[in-house]
Amino acid sequence: MSFITRAIKPATRLAARRFYASEAASSGKLIVNFALPHESVLKNHEVSQVDLSAVSGDLGILADHVPTIEQLKPGVIDLISESGSQKYFVSGGFAIMNPNSVLNINAIEAFKLEDIDVQAVAANLAESQRLASSAKDEITKEAAAIEIELYEALQAAVSGKAK
Amino acid sequence: MSFAWRTAGMNYLQYSSIAARALRRTVKAELQTEIAKREGMSLKYAKWESGKAGVLVRIAA
Repeated sequence: MSFITRAIKPATRLAARRFYASEAASSGKLIVNFALPHESVLKNHEVSQVDLSAVSGDLGILADHVPTIEQLKPGVIDLISESGSQKYFVSGGFAIMNPNSVLNINAIEAFKLEDIDVQAVAANLAESQRLASSAKDEITKEAAAIEIELYEALQAAVSGKAK
Repeated sequence: MSFAWRTAGMNYLQYSSIAARALRRTVKAELQTEIAKREGMSLKYAKWESGKAGVLVRIAA
């Protein structure tokens, strides 16, 4: 009998070590640091989920997310906690997910959605579209295209069409 | 991954500053004065020689 237990012991020990990510030791909280070059927006801020749009696609980040570095598109960063959600529109930047449930977001410019002037978005979008069609050189055209992409995302965000 | 602005010869810093400037333009009027303070950039220099400042040169942004 003893030789059987000896034989299966290593196998059970190995099995006990295996677990799913959800069963791993975790505080279950996501810590967010959100910084701009001129301001620290959030520091050690506890949330349950962060939704952001990256170049590689839209992400919903929870605690214990796999470590990753994502380039942000102009878009909404939605910080969801028990008390509600906080929405910022960023012009672009990077989101760095660390292995210890800490998410660092760096952006050049970010504003709360309620600080955005809806009429100004429409006017600027029209102006950029005019510039894109009349541009002679490629750099001017591309600069206008960057603005158009941002304004379209912003328009969708303020009109509530974006998630 | 390829970006249209990259193919046009722009780098990431140029791209991100264009996007940031575009976003600043859409912010409500009451916040614009605060934003204007950090948007511009200026540079001036003077060459110091034997404890005295030389001609002050301003460089436009």
